[in-house]
Amino acid sequence: MGEHGRLERLVADVRQGWIPAAVYSDREVFEQEVECVFGRAWVYLAHESEIPEPGDYVVRRVVHDSFIVVRDEHGVVRVLANVCRHRGMQVCRAERGNASHFRCPYHGWTYRNTGHLVGVPFHEDAYGGEREFPKAEFGLLSPPRVASYNGLIFVSLDPNAPALQDYLGGFRYYLDFYTRQSPVGLEVHGPQRWRVRANWKIGAENFCGDTYHTPYTHQSIAEIGLFAEHRPGKRKEGVVYFADRGGGTTYKLAPGSFEERLRSVGYPDEMVERMAQTWSPEQRALVAEAGFIVSAATLFPNLSFVHNWPRVREGGPPVPFISLRLWQPVSAGETEVYSWFAVDRLAPEEFKRDSYRSYLLSFGTSGMFEQDDVENWTSITAVAAGRWSSQIRLHSRMGLSREGRLLRQPMDGWPGPGRAFQGFGEYNQRALLEVWCDYMQGAREEARV
Amino acid sequence: MRAAPADERLERVGSGEADYHAVVDFLHREAELLDERRWREWLALLAEDVTYEMPVRATGARSLETSVLPDMDHFREDHFTLRKRVERLETEYAWTEDPPSRTRHVVTNVRVFRSPSGELVARSYLLLFRSRGDTRDPEWVCAERTDRLRRTEEGLKLVWRRVVVDESVLRTQNLAIFL
Repeated sequence: MGEHGRLERLVADVRQGWIPAAVYSDREVFEQEVECVFGRAWVYLAHESEIPEPGDYVVRRVVHDSFIVVRDEHGVVRVLANVCRHRGMQVCRAERGNASHFRCPYHGWTYRNTGHLVGVPFHEDAYGGEREFPKAEFGLLSPPRVASYNGLIFVSLDPNAPALQDYLGGFRYYLDFYTRQSPVGLEVHGPQRWRVRANWKIGAENFCGDTYHTPYTHQSIAEIGLFAEHRPGKRKEGVVYFADRGGGTTYKLAPGSFEERLRSVGYPDEMVERMAQTWSPEQRALVAEAGFIVSAATLFPNLSFVHNWPRVREGGPPVPFISLRLWQPVSAGETEVYSWFAVDRLAPEEFKRDSYRSYLLSFGTSGMFEQDDVENWTSITAVAAGRWSSQIRLHSRMGLSREGRLLRQPMDGWPGPGRAFQGFGEYNQRALLEVWCDYMQGAREEARV
Repeated sequence: MRAAPADERLERVGSGEADYHAVVDFLHREAELLDERRWREWLALLAEDVTYEMPVRATGARSLETSVLPDMDHFREDHFTLRKRVERLETEYAWTEDPPSRTRHVVTNVRVFRSPSGELVARSYLLLFRSRGDTRDPEWVCAERTDRLRRTEEGLKLVWRRVVVDESVLRTQNLAIFL
């Protein structure tokens, strides 16, 4: 940030729920994010099921840093910097594939998919052989930290980042509802990728806690009968929760047992049975006792989740789907969206087919929910770029009094970690941006020690 | 990226033949309906058992064969889901197309084949121009389409369409449009 005081003032406003629009458009804010958020947080790259066989790889980014996520010959998942150690050329220019080696097209240095440098043309003549140039010292680099949870592969570019488990903290409880419906876990398909002229945080905030937009932004979905039940107040009955670095929204389910409630959103009996066996008693209690089921969520900084259950046939039953998505920043005003379809690997084939249909109909490039969301976010980003309007402080204080007191108390007896509120309120958006403020000020780790 | 089931023998229809012109007329008519947002009339061009698919394209190494993802699509629709999409666009709350995009479906390089079952198979290039609002750059989608057309008493009907898009990362905000 060119002017330190400016960032401090901006962060102070954000902490109060007054969001200077510049947060969504300013180039200096973005540069600070690249440094302090994406340079330090744990960032999602890929799911292990995307690279099931030895040699399978996908290429992913952390903002502008390119990484190869590859399963090596021994089945070990590795994350390798896509940078030849000689002149910095990208050694892999496909997005995905299967390879035992990566060869730099510039001078032919060749790396095994473990990252080891195994081929240097004219090694003896040009470099004086192993004695003067030991190949072992010039393998592809790995980012400072790599770890996975339920098959989700994350990296951190900060050697001092907390352990991934600690970073996820209480949010792990909620993450399991999406990523661990059986001991085997997810298979992940895709992604669809597209670019939108919107700041990356807007989608992250929306998925994290915006239940208030659903009845209006998505009114068209209600009108065409895509959901079995669509009362305008339905989202008001849901709970929003936030634990450590992630939070999300839920729907209230009709009275019934654990089994009846999961069946009511369209899960077949065998899947319900596996969920019952896989989830902890505290996790089962969210559905069975509290009577809620997870919907959208965001893990800081830019990984979001969706769980919803539209109809896929005329008058048919609801069919649930899970989607993962990454808000990959391109610049302050542009985001590349990665959207994956995910389903439990043990789910019946027929369920997988219908669930995929359910996903395509509602989310992703052609999804009918998604379309109207992005229209809002591009518009906000365009407004935020205005010389004058960038200084407007947007109101993100729903659920607070004028003086900043909570209008409603957190729920008693909520079975999960963190803080939960029932009804409309921008609790989660504020909580997510609090984490953002901490990172922008370089304070998050210190605050946790 | 094949035009039809691999074991099917397709016979090329010359550009002087009546069938060729019938197919070109169908494609031009369809483009006109889509650009004029006459979706109900567009739906009437589709067979009840229509399949409409648009796989995701990715950058694979060495050959284009691996560039079409086998397990992810932008669209994989049937008559019900296409109808729902049209119904949505007809509501007063489909913000992303209100105000509407100005689109132009430019259809070229049409090649026509006859299948042994009597259906016509058409391959064409599509360049879709999409302009929205007054401050954004226009968006483009470029693709090859393979269509299977059935002869009916009401004229040709689209039974199957596969849209193979050229971009791996779409530069259009969404697919609230049909290709």
